[in-house]
Amino acid sequence: MNPMDPKFHQALDGEIGMDALSPELRREAERLDAVVAMLAAAPAAQGVAARVMAAVARPAPSRPRRMWRWLVTPHSLVLRMRPAWSLALAAGILLLAVLPSPQIGPALGAEEGIAQFVARFPGARSVAVVGSFNDWRPGSIPLEDRDHDGVWRAAVVLPAGTHEYMLVVDGERWVADPLAGRYVEDDFGRENSVLIVQPVMH
Amino acid sequence: MDVGSGPSDAEVVARVLGGDREAFGILIQRYEAGLLRYATRMLGSRDAASDAVAEGLVRAYRHLASCRDPARLRTWLYRIVANRCKSHLARRPRADVSLDDAPPVADPSDNEAALEKAEQLALVERALMTLSPERREAFVLKHVEGLSYEEMSAATGERIPTLKMRVHRAREALLQALEEYR
Repeated sequence: MNPMDPKFHQALDGEIGMDALSPELRREAERLDAVVAMLAAAPAAQGVAARVMAAVARPAPSRPRRMWRWLVTPHSLVLRMRPAWSLALAAGILLLAVLPSPQIGPALGAEEGIAQFVARFPGARSVAVVGSFNDWRPGSIPLEDRDHDGVWRAAVVLPAGTHEYMLVVDGERWVADPLAGRYVEDDFGRENSVLIVQPVMH
Repeated sequence: MDVGSGPSDAEVVARVLGGDREAFGILIQRYEAGLLRYATRMLGSRDAASDAVAEGLVRAYRHLASCRDPARLRTWLYRIVANRCKSHLARRPRADVSLDDAPPVADPSDNEAALEKAEQLALVERALMTLSPERREAFVLKHVEGLSYEEMSAATGERIPTLKMRVHRAREALLQALEEYR
């Protein structure tokens, strides 16, 4: 649509009177009014108040309990602030490992590489990676913790190039990889991790 | 916003910060409907909107002490819920942004006019969802929630000329989309 006469917007912004508009623009303004009136109908409350009051009524945990939770719960803030010993443990978190591996060779194209994800989430029920390479759909690239030591792994073939990604813990908690090395802010001001997949050289 | 003869927002905030947890219910009652409407228009899903508003209000309660100007609590709440909506949108593939969880339902008791109204609303909601999140946010805050550009700037952190441009483009795109749906 071509930009409308600036007067249309000036009138709707209250900068000039509606009577300054031509009959045609006034009709457009009335159409918009009708649209707004429909959108302004408030949806039913769906028990939000009860949920919120139940949440705020929950007593705040004691300091030792908060400390314990801080130590054992791997949420994003915790991961960024995790002490050195744990970082060392999590040093296995590998953004990208380009492995010219013959066993996967037949499936790899010249413009593909292997990304290996390793992350430590003790107690997690599931960990998955989501990113620009799988349309940010949780579940399509799950990580595995076969020996139940809290270290989750996955190796996947991805197109060569730069990808943004996050980790999804227990299907609901989205966490930027704390050791990604590179991050980028998305359109919504959130921080995504960045990985670069190198093509496998044949 | 101060409602009728009830306590002002600043007074209620002071009560909550003073330990009267139940007083937070007054603020919820005051702003719940508007915040839900805003989130529903942003997310295109009533369920997701409920989650975003509930999360936002719990967050607001926990950080109430950081609200620098309780007299402008409404704007502050919109800012928090707007951020929750952005998080929800960022986490959700575009294909999942839909109004399918709340389609107009044809109840046998509905008369023709009510059904037509529901169809029109569905059409308008669909057109709204074709806008980019930034334009949709600006349009809804301006026209549906009735915020001034100054309040919108406080709620979104964007500059007023940027917001004006988004509202203008949103108006034009909406009218165009509705024209195409006719």
